[in-house]
Amino acid sequence: MMKNNLKVQRAIKNITQSDLADLIKVSRQTINTIESGKYVPSTVLALKMAKVFGVSVEEIFSLEEQD
Amino acid sequence: MTLLSILFYICSNKIYNMKKTLLLPNNYKVIGWVTFLLFTALGLSCMYLDFQIPGFQFFYPKENSFLDFRDYNLTNEFALTGIVVGLLMVAFAKEKTEDEYILQLRLRSWQWSILISYIILIILNFSVYGTDFWMVLVYNLWTPLIVFIIKFNVCLYKLRREGVDDEK
Repeated sequence: MMKNNLKVQRAIKNITQSDLADLIKVSRQTINTIESGKYVPSTVLALKMAKVFGVSVEEIFSLEEQD
Repeated sequence: MTLLSILFYICSNKIYNMKKTLLLPNNYKVIGWVTFLLFTALGLSCMYLDFQIPGFQFFYPKENSFLDFRDYNLTNEFALTGIVVGLLMVAFAKEKTEDEYILQLRLRSWQWSILISYIILIILNFSVYGTDFWMVLVYNLWTPLIVFIIKFNVCLYKLRREGVDDEK
């Protein structure tokens, strides 16, 4: 439905799923479901993640061709 | 006692948080299970041992009405209400980390439970007759709550197991 490069962003910043989860106050499983593309986060959560990585939301999430 | 604490909670200034998600704090899960077990014990002893709290009733049969066999004692009503309130507390208690994905699982589980409950009701409607059906209706008061609690916890269990291995 929607692509994301969360895993790459985490690798660049060198933080684990649980570090990211703690930073934006969600459970680690939620980060996991977002990474695997199973769950599309709310705009608020997407903005929080972008803030953590210091990038814009579009750099993490992008639409797929068929959307 | 637990009812009073809920009322206190609703009246306290935490109402704002509760209004946003309609959820109770995490410790209500334990309170809910204890309430459920206590009132289930009361309900069972009421049903099978004919236990009644003496004098616990508002209405009495009219004098000289020999044909009025209705049960005016409120013990069984009290037990039924307690079980419902206990299950409601379990169902509406927050998870330790209640985030938006958990909230989505929660809402999906409610959809499921309503659907399953009505399917159960329709099946029993055609397979149980007479006074037995009355018992079906009684049990059906708890079906949506019980199905929700089972479904939601299965979802959470699956979610927790899924993400164990791919940390990092």
